[in-house]
Amino acid sequence: MDILGETAKELYRALDNKEIQTGLKRSISNLSISVDRVLNVWPYLEELASKVREIKEETLNNLDYYIDLTMRNVKRSHGHPYFARNREEALKILDEIIGDDSPLLIVKAKSMVTEEVGIREHLISLGHSVYETDLGELLIQISRDKPMHAIAPAIHIPKEGAIELLRRLGLNVREGMNIEEIVMEVRSFLRRKFVDADIGISGANVVAADTGSIILISNEGNIRNTTSLPPVHIAVTGVEKIMPTLSDAFMQALVQAGYAGLYPPTYLSIIAGPSSTADIEYHRVYGVHGPKEFHMILYDGGRLSAIKDPFLSEQLLCIRCGRCQAECPVWGLTGNIWGGNVYGGPMGIVWTAIVENISLASALSLFCLVCGRCMEVCPMKIDMPHIIRNLKSRLNL
Amino acid sequence: MPLPIKDVIRMIIENTRKSGAPIPLPPEIATGWADGMDIPRGGETVIYTGLLYQLLPYLNASIKKLESLEENAVGATLLKLGKIISKVIDINKLISSVSRDELEKQYDVLRSIAIMLRNADIEYGYLYEDEMYSGVLLFDMGLDDFFKEHIEKVYSVLRKNRVKRIITIDPHTTHVMRTVYPKYLPEYDIEVKNYLEILSSKGLNGGMKSGVEGVIHDPCYYARFQNIIDEPRQLLNAAGVTVLEPPLKTRKLTFCCGGPIESISPKLSRNIAEMRLDELKNINRRIIVLCPICYSNFSRVADRNLVIEDISRLLVKAFGE
Ligand code: SF4
Repeated sequence: MDILGETAKELYRALDNKEIQTGLKRSISNLSISVDRVLNVWPYLEELASKVREIKEETLNNLDYYIDLTMRNVKRSHGHPYFARNREEALKILDEIIGDDSPLLIVKAKSMVTEEVGIREHLISLGHSVYETDLGELLIQISRDKPMHAIAPAIHIPKEGAIELLRRLGLNVREGMNIEEIVMEVRSFLRRKFVDADIGISGANVVAADTGSIILISNEGNIRNTTSLPPVHIAVTGVEKIMPTLSDAFMQALVQAGYAGLYPPTYLSIIAGPSSTADIEYHRVYGVHGPKEFHMILYDGGRLSAIKDPFLSEQLLCIRCGRCQAECPVWGLTGNIWGGNVYGGPMGIVWTAIVENISLASALSLFCLVCGRCMEVCPMKIDMPHIIRNLKSRLNL
Repeated sequence: MPLPIKDVIRMIIENTRKSGAPIPLPPEIATGWADGMDIPRGGETVIYTGLLYQLLPYLNASIKKLESLEENAVGATLLKLGKIISKVIDINKLISSVSRDELEKQYDVLRSIAIMLRNADIEYGYLYEDEMYSGVLLFDMGLDDFFKEHIEKVYSVLRKNRVKRIITIDPHTTHVMRTVYPKYLPEYDIEVKNYLEILSSKGLNGGMKSGVEGVIHDPCYYARFQNIIDEPRQLLNAAGVTVLEPPLKTRKLTFCCGGPIESISPKLSRNIAEMRLDELKNINRRIIVLCPICYSNFSRVADRNLVIEDISRLLVKAFGE
């Protein structure tokens, strides 16, 4: 069957799947109410959002310059910067960093770019033990589903489903446990992994070119543990995440957290290079309580050519807050099943065109209502209806 | 089983190219609403129906047919056998399956609008059988080449009739003819006004409270793309209708009725309509719609105790005398 027929079938399966429907319904209205509340209580976020858009436009126009600047400043802060054009290059760099050691224990923070590259699967195939440490993403890892939402990947899995999945991983969770008890079990399970891990892998919510820093947003606290307990920290992130300065980057992080309905974010980690001390005789030693090594892989994966596409380029302004997904009528019934391998929903159709392939994105686009709600709620005001309609026009009839 | 979507799209293209509309509409059906209305033929300013209201009962019948093909076993087998959609759906049968009643309901909307415009002292004519479908479905589906080919014809008919201004009556035709045409036809110089904008600028006042209340469902294209949000509310208030608002999903944040993908995926479209109606019906059993597509998609899934009503039918009670 053709790609369009397959897409339609998948969507119909989602519509008929009770578990997905219940999960989506329960989570979406909560998500949309919390964003609305955040924007009412902290109205300055809207102002920041329009500033962020302006700065990002300017940055994307000079992205080569900012990639170079970021690389130089990562080096200056004693980190190791890399640039990967595609998946193969990214995995090769990763293999070189990790070396041929015996099987390692690796903890991971949730990151869509690492999904794009397929890092977890790759490392597991090499015999390493890899654990996602974001609870939602851990459920996705066990279920082998694709993440359903940029911020809340397991939005479609109700409590009963979560218990069953965690049991498969050997956790001591039982039917009838309340959600608090389940979370406690996960905490103690992952706590040991954090302490024993050889490597921590994260993405980055934003990158600051002038300092070579990354900013990571988290509420669970897993990101701090992932990025500071293991001796090696590897951050993998898309080049479009670069902002010119640390203060610009900070602004973007606040906007992303706010439009994801998670404001104030419980933790914002700003990381520039490995941990170090010069407290004895002013002699600099790397690797104190935090990692000894910090690596940053800047990933292209289709982004740089998308900059040249008159339609797709606007999507590179996206800060992945996921709000367009939660507010989209079609996504509300299908989740990321209406999407490519990694990204779904309005933003996801366009991201699929950028990082996967245009024909899949075109097939997905046909199910878009072009109702414009995504653009209305998007902090970056990305004209997704316009881009998606263009993707429809690229369908081969 | 999902429809063979490409066949559906090809059928829409074929029909529009051959007959000017996604479903070939006999001219007497397209213009029947104006019988006895004494609207002058042509003129610099014309009411422009874009045929959407008239097409509605037929679109509805075809969606029902598509839906049954999706759902029942025979339909699924036919689809599997690869029978192309246009062979499975007999257009002539489809047209004769629509009852006079259903058509009259849409005519009532058109007549209400025409009467209110006349009462507000707006001078306008009508192109009768010369009036063409706007091509909006081709645009929505991203069929740019066919869309351009179609709207060139529309524009040349408008020019041949020396039309300078059109009064549109639905959100899709308004959007496409006001905002989209100029992007494809740089020379396009037709002024487009929507009837709600015109009526609301007249400061009409129907006086008394009518005692009627209903929940308003903003169509996406009015609210988000044409910024027609206050006008319908102001007119309904002036007509004495109490307007109730859905929480959060209203005005610019209105929620789609699912209509735009009804021919690509009737099932998904229906699910979206149900989701939206669930919310609206908890506020009031009268749902005020401003768009024929919303009307049709909601009517397809609504229980009997709900009243889906076009705004013009409420306004005409106050401004139609
Ligand atoms: S497109 Fe806009 S709303 Fe959607 S994830 Fe990106 S920034 Fe957020």
